[in-house]
Order: sequence, then C-alpha cells, then structure tokens
Amino acid sequence: MNMIEINNLRRVYKATIGTLRRKTKEVVAVDDISFNVSAGELFGLLGPNGAGKTTVVKMLTTLLIPTSGTARIMGADVEKEAEKIRPKIGFIFGGERGLYWRLSAQDNLRYFASLYHVDPNVSKKRIEYLLELVGLEDRSKEKVEGYSRGMKQRLHIARALIHDPEVLFLDEPTIGLDPVGARKLREVIRNLQSEQKTILLTTHYMFEADALCQRIAVIDHGNIVALDTPEALKKLVKDLSVIEVEVFGVPEELFGRLREQPFVDNVAVENREQTQVLMVQTPRGSEAVPDLIALLDGVRIGKVTSREPTLEDAYVRLVGGET
Amino acid sequence: MSWQKIRSYTRVVALSFEMALRQNVADAFILFTIIVQPLIITILALLMLRDQGENYAIFVVIGSGMTGLWSSMLFISGNSINLERWTGTLESLVGSPTPIQVVVFGKSLANVLQSLFSMLGSYILVSLIFGFPIKILQPGLFIIAVIFTIISFVCFGLIMASLFVVNPDLQRWQNGLEFPIYILCGFLFPIAILPSWTTPLSYLLAPYWAAQALHGSSNGSMTIGDLSLALGMMAFFSFTYLALSGRLFRVMLRKARVDATLGMQ
Repeated sequence: MNMIEINNLRRVYKATIGTLRRKTKEVVAVDDISFNVSAGELFGLLGPNGAGKTTVVKMLTTLLIPTSGTARIMGADVEKEAEKIRPKIGFIFGGERGLYWRLSAQDNLRYFASLYHVDPNVSKKRIEYLLELVGLEDRSKEKVEGYSRGMKQRLHIARALIHDPEVLFLDEPTIGLDPVGARKLREVIRNLQSEQKTILLTTHYMFEADALCQRIAVIDHGNIVALDTPEALKKLVKDLSVIEVEVFGVPEELFGRLREQPFVDNVAVENREQTQVLMVQTPRGSEAVPDLIALLDGVRIGKVTSREPTLEDAYVRLVGGET
Repeated sequence: MSWQKIRSYTRVVALSFEMALRQNVADAFILFTIIVQPLIITILALLMLRDQGENYAIFVVIGSGMTGLWSSMLFISGNSINLERWTGTLESLVGSPTPIQVVVFGKSLANVLQSLFSMLGSYILVSLIFGFPIKILQPGLFIIAVIFTIISFVCFGLIMASLFVVNPDLQRWQNGLEFPIYILCGFLFPIAILPSWTTPLSYLLAPYWAAQALHGSSNGSMTIGDLSLALGMMAFFSFTYLALSGRLFRVMLRKARVDATLGMQ
C-alpha cells in the first residue's frame, strides 16, 4: 500500500525584485515530480541546498498548496483534505526554531499533545516515553532556551511523535549537529523504522541517506534525476574510480579545465580546514594520476589517494559536482 | 460539533491560555504594556483630573486599566500569529488538527485576563499610594460589565490577530491605533467633549460600550436600560467579530499556504 503518492507535483513561487520599479519573478522550486512511498518504508530525498526538498515536504505536510499536480497521503489530497491528513502525520523541519523556548520540554510536549487531541491520561505516559527515547528525560523540566542545538532537534522529534503518527516527514533532521548528536538522532530514526513507521527523510548527507534509506530520490533544480535503492545508485559509478587530491588553493578556472579532460568523468571539491580536496571521477583509475598531477602544475599538492566510488560519488555525478 | 471535539478544543484553549501566561510573565515588553504604561497614564490622569472631585479617582482607575487592556489587545493579541511565525511555531500549529483560531482564542483570553492587572495596579496606586477613596457603587452590574468586557475583547483579539496577518499593511498602523482608541472610546475623558462627528465612530467600537458599562456601574450612574444597551452592543459586536474572524482565518490560512508565508525563511 502506498502511504505517499505524488503525481506531476509542481510548485512555483513568486518573488519580487527591485525597490522602486518592482517586478514579480516566478521561481520554479519543484518541477513535475512523481514518486510513491509504501507503508513502513524509509524513503530519502537527497539533493543540494535549494533543490526543492523542503518545498516537497511542505506540500506533503499540507503547509503549502501545490501549483499543479497532486499529492496524496494515505489516499487524502494534501490541498483539499488537509484536515484528514494532519492527525495522521508528524513532521519536523531542521534547525532550532519551532519550539517554545520559554517553556520546558515537558510543557512543549504537553501543549502539542493537546493540539493533537491526545487523551491527557495517554499523553502523560507518552511524554515520559518520548523524552526517554530522545534522551531528554533528565532535563525535561528545564526551559528549552538553555538546550543545545542537538537537544532542541531531538525535542523536535519527540514533538513530531507525540500523537504516534503513521507517516513521518523529517526535513534535514541532523543539520548543524555535532557528530555525536547526529549519530544519536540517526539511532532514533532507525528505531522508528523498526516500529514500521513510514518515513520521508530529506538530507544532503550522503552517508546518512546510505545508512538509513531503503530507496533514495535524488532531486536537483526541482526535478528527480534518479530514484533507486542506495546500492543501485552506487552502480551508476561502478566503472569509475575516484582520485582524491589534497590541494592548497586551486584557481576556479582549473575546475573547468579538469572537467574538459577526456579521462575525467566528473570533478567535485570539498573544502576542509586549510585545504581543499579535489575528487576526480575517472574510468582510468590510478593510471590517471600522472596526467592529473601534470594538469595541476603550479598548484601545491598534498596527499593523493585512489578509492572505490561511494553513494556520494554517484550523487556528485547526478547533480554535477554540487555538494 | 461532537462532545469529544468540544472537550478537545476546551483543553487546547486551557493549555494555550496557560502557556501564553507562562511565556508572557517572562516578557519585559508585555509587562511594560500591562503594568508600567497604565501606571504612567494613571499618574498623568490623576494630575490632570485632581480638581474634578472624588468620583474621578474611580474613573481614572477604570480608564487607565482599560488603556492597558486595549494596548495588550493591540500589541499582544494583534501580534499573536505573527509572533508564532517569527518563532517558527506557526507551521507546527497550522499543521496540527486543531484550528488555529482555537489556539488564538486561548491566547487572547490570557492576554485579556492578565490585562486586568492594569486595573489592579491603577487601583493600588490611586487608593493606597495617593489615598483617594475608591468605591464601586453598583458592584453587581460592574461584575456583569467586566464579564462582557472580557468576552468582547477576546473576540476583538481574534479579529486583530487575523487582520494583521491578512493585511500586513495594516500592522504598520499598529502604533498609531493606540491613543485614538483611548480617546474615541472615552477611557479617560467623556466622548461628549469630542467633536460630534466622532460619536458614530465611537458607537462602532466594542471598547466604547465596555468603557460605558464599566464607568457607569462603578460611579453609580448606570440605569438598567443603559447597561442593557451597553451589554447588548458588546454581545452584538462579539458575535460579529467571532463570525468575521472565522472567515478571516480561512482567508488568511489559504493565502499563507499559497504565498508560502507560514514560515520565516
């Protein structure tokens, strides 16, 4: 059974530009997207910033009206039957906002339990269970304003689960978290998956999508550019190797020159503290290293390594180097 | 509407009320609006009206208390939806199965009831510090007037909250709406001293009728006929505001879902 059904979904925003002579410009955030998510599935929506992930989630959670196309949650239309959908779904949007900071975690949950019409006798036990699930039981009576970012995001998860929804929408739940906080949150998501919840997760962290999702749709500029299991997506780059070159300050024009080389399939760059890492996808494997070094003439080079491609490399290939 | 739904909504109103109060006590702007500003107005009014005799003390207490009520309505209830938007909680509220107006009703009730502290503050200042004797001459009628005032202000709060969201241009006039209402509704001066062309405007405002009922019952000049008229007008406006706010909330939510303005990015 499909819990989420999306057909030709499109969303256009109107943006105003100019101060004195104001003009309205149309921005296509989501352009003709279709996919289904079945019951109990953890489905990932992967894409760079501004790809349209949050817009899709906001339409599915009844907070935005689609410009055209249809979206149904458990058979109910997101535009016309929002009242039927809202009691059955839970959602979180990444970040710290969206909670009452002057109230405690317990009070936030008590309030949202009332908004979702959870019986007071049930909500008391549910709040205790959720606070334990997200590891906030010891600080549940403190005001949220004193919480770390990770604690706030875990409280968001508890809030979204207060009415035990059948479908969950998690929009970049680990964004901005430290590695330990992100790992804790991923454990919570994994537990939810084992409870057979249907989950739509958006992220731009490849390893997160790889570790959690059963299927992934890669979205770029409002379009789905690939939809498959993580293993199948990795096969898109199975004939390639990735050469990682640590460099110190690469001129912009060099990326263009690298991309034009016949032995280079794709190039991505990752900024680390003092260095940049060029990730060059090539079918020639380590044989391409000398040619690559020659092209980087004049650039200070550090470590050079060759490795098997990952889901991230498949993603880079699909979205053209934007990470 | 089923009994179960009524029970659920009552619980939401009670919790919105409780949460609003708990958040408001930690907000300096709100404390200024409902406590400090009415006290300043009380002192000014007492100094201006001290030659008018003893009756003016209760007039000042009620009048300055009403300024606190109106300011709280204008700024706190008026901003209640926008505040949720600024803190990022509006999407969670709209995405829940409870209609947003039920939440705003609870918040508006909290704002109105906490604003009654304005009157209490003025009473303490005028009676205990300045030593004016204060007596409510028709206490029974006064209590009825207070109850109707609360209801009409809560309903007015619903209108303000939705109106400021539907039409953000109107919010730019928010500061400018504070003192004209004090004057037009006769909080601190009888409207008889205003030009006659302003009188119909006063009649169209529920706070005017609330001021009439509260001032009249406190100084003993209120006949049952006068009170019935004031209460009837407050009830009429409350129903009108309630019906109008239902429509405004529907328009507001539809517009926000189309324009993508529920969240602040």
